[in-house]
Amino acid sequence: MSEVRLQIQNLCKTFGITKAVQDVSFNINKGEVHALIGENGSGKSTLTNMLTGIYSIDSGHFILDGREIHPKNQVEANLEGVSIIVQELGTLSGLTVAENIFLGHESRFVKFGIKNTNAMNREAQSLLNQYGFGRIKASAMIDTYNFEDRKLVEIVKATYFKPKIVVIDETTTALSQEGREELYKQMNRIRDEGDTIIFISHDLPEVLRMSDTITCLRDGVYIDTVKSSDIDEEGLKKLMVGREVTGDYYRSDYGEKVSDTVVLSVDHVTVPGQIHDISFELHRGEILGFGGLSESGMHEIGKACFGASFDRTGTVKLADGTEINDIPTAIHHSVAYTSKDRDNESVVMNQSIGDNICLPSLDNLMKVPAIGILSDVKMKTFAQNYADEMSVKMVDTDQFVSELSGGNKQKVVLARWIGKNSDILVLDSPTRGIDIKVKQDIYQLMDKMRKQGKSIIMISEELMELIGMCDRILIMKDGQINGELMRSPDLDENSLIAKMV
Amino acid sequence: MADNTMTLSREEELKKRSRMTILRSFLPVIGLVVIFVVFNTLTGGRMVKKFSMTMSQIYVTMISATGVFFVMTMGGLDFSQGSILGMASIVVCLVSKKSIPLAVVAGIATGAAIGALNGFFYVNRKIKSFIVTICTMFLFRGIIKYLTSNAPVSGSAKLIMLNKDSLKLTCMLIVVVLGLIAFRYTRFGMYLKAIGAGEKAAKFAGIRTNKMKFLVYVLAGALTGFAAFINSIKVGSVTSSGGNQVETQILIALVLGGMPISGGAKARFMNVIVGSLLYVVLSSGLNMVGLSTQAQQLIQGVVFLVFVAVFADRESLRVIK
Repeated sequence: MSEVRLQIQNLCKTFGITKAVQDVSFNINKGEVHALIGENGSGKSTLTNMLTGIYSIDSGHFILDGREIHPKNQVEANLEGVSIIVQELGTLSGLTVAENIFLGHESRFVKFGIKNTNAMNREAQSLLNQYGFGRIKASAMIDTYNFEDRKLVEIVKATYFKPKIVVIDETTTALSQEGREELYKQMNRIRDEGDTIIFISHDLPEVLRMSDTITCLRDGVYIDTVKSSDIDEEGLKKLMVGREVTGDYYRSDYGEKVSDTVVLSVDHVTVPGQIHDISFELHRGEILGFGGLSESGMHEIGKACFGASFDRTGTVKLADGTEINDIPTAIHHSVAYTSKDRDNESVVMNQSIGDNICLPSLDNLMKVPAIGILSDVKMKTFAQNYADEMSVKMVDTDQFVSELSGGNKQKVVLARWIGKNSDILVLDSPTRGIDIKVKQDIYQLMDKMRKQGKSIIMISEELMELIGMCDRILIMKDGQINGELMRSPDLDENSLIAKMV
Repeated sequence: MADNTMTLSREEELKKRSRMTILRSFLPVIGLVVIFVVFNTLTGGRMVKKFSMTMSQIYVTMISATGVFFVMTMGGLDFSQGSILGMASIVVCLVSKKSIPLAVVAGIATGAAIGALNGFFYVNRKIKSFIVTICTMFLFRGIIKYLTSNAPVSGSAKLIMLNKDSLKLTCMLIVVVLGLIAFRYTRFGMYLKAIGAGEKAAKFAGIRTNKMKFLVYVLAGALTGFAAFINSIKVGSVTSSGGNQVETQILIALVLGGMPISGGAKARFMNVIVGSLLYVVLSSGLNMVGLSTQAQQLIQGVVFLVFVAVFADRESLRVIK
């Protein structure tokens, strides 16, 4: 049997009233990929953030190779041999690639108080070359690289010093297929060298494929640790949710005819540097999917349809001839949009759930419409109704959105647009970083809306959900539409990937 | 059993949290009462007896603070208020020789124009608001000094004859009541709070954020332009120091009233009212006790620092735009 690398003993952490991690104990071995799974808000990230010094420990112990550690920050954690690749951007703007890689460890290159930048760049470049990322230049500013490349830099940063444990926190959802392959390669390498990876992911097939051992948390409580060879996807879902997951996941219908009525037509739309000469039509009751690599420009399509693009040319027109050139016009004419960047563009973080839901619908929540006096009662019941309809987990509608987990934030955004009763929904990565239970809710909601005659544009990096949900899929490549695939039971990921790369 | 204690403590935590919120929101009111009582005792009841004198400062402060409150709610700052007050006062005094109503309009227009200048550089040129307003503060302070270098600009005699508490009080109440209604009961307040709490998300929720930001700076300027009228009927003329440091006074007043420095959803209109009262009671109290100007400034600085430390919302504190 393999040796124990990390013992987690009676770990606890609370945030105000939320008990994020409660008395969790389990062991992690050397030379394994140990997956942590659980629904949103189950305490996975909280646990690893304590291990890597991002959060402080309330009580309990981490024992690494027989010695207790309690790092106060990430640099200390690195010195103990623990590093992390985070879910969102973990590199600092305004620094070079090399400075990012050696952040907190610059002293290696300092002699007599002077930093030897050349030596640092040389060392960083040789690391990048070793990893096969030679096209990234160590001396360049990190800002010149896109999200994907910055993630690769982060992989180097987190692993070059041969740490004993590397935490990978939902990194794959932000990566395209190529980026994922790169990450998998590094994960396998680290395992083969006898070190440990703690892998957090919502993508259960990926978890089963990549990990040796799986530990499940639910509402901050330890549930079980299993060998991935002894369990299947259904079993994992059951562990996470605590009961059998029943009912439909994706849509099950095939061959239904989509209406001929066009509700939105996009004509020769170009956004400089993002998308080029895009034209398509969206029909009534249709779910139109957009797939591609994350840099293919597909995310800009959503913004363009919502009037949120900068410097856009070409027209986006509704059935009644209204042209959509700015956001208020879009909202006023029943177009809704949820962004991939949920925290910055979808929810107003430091505002209450209630205000977030009511914001676009204030016109209908007046007490004295003539002079624009709002009704507190109407707003309160409106927010409560739609939050309940989406079953948002919250204390009350006065709670701030910033206190909610990712899945619940997304529910608030959807509640807002359902409340607005929008007819055209542009959903960019609606299930990103969301657990299966909420995903299922969102898929069911989309199916329901489709049947009500609403039209949906779904932009996603998850090919399976595009195949499962869409009537038609447009594949983007280099800012242009590179192929169209119709709904069919025979469609598989490979036929999409073929058009993407 | 274990489950039971958990839910219990959760409820306790909730109660504790709401107690803290209530305490925080009432602290300025408690502070106001305490300071009022303390100064009355120290001055042997002089503050109550000379109430109208105590309050003579409040009209200008509260009217201008209303505009700055809107600016701060959406996450901005405005340091140009003192210079706006000085400039608009000069205009009011000059125009008052022709017609008083015209002077009021001209004052408001001057304030609005300077506000529009702030708004233009802030919104269109995307310069941080405190940089822009510090620049306009110096710019217009310079112009004020230039215009008043030979002699103070004095208003017409009719202007000073209007100096009655009833008029000043009515003007102030109109501004405050309209401000309260707009902020608390219309989408104006909702939008401002949303911009302060997350500008990008506010934009994606359909708020024309640039237009709002620009107009709020114009409004803040216009309100101070109106305050300049009240200031002019009280003082009757403008010297080179007219309106000096009013911006700091407003900022201190709002923070004393519990205004979160970073703006956002936690701003309450009560902050304006309680804050202005607290500031005026504090400064005239210190005056009546007979402290020197130096000592007064020192004490104000300490009080300000304490309040900022208490009210800074560290969770949502970001760089001020």
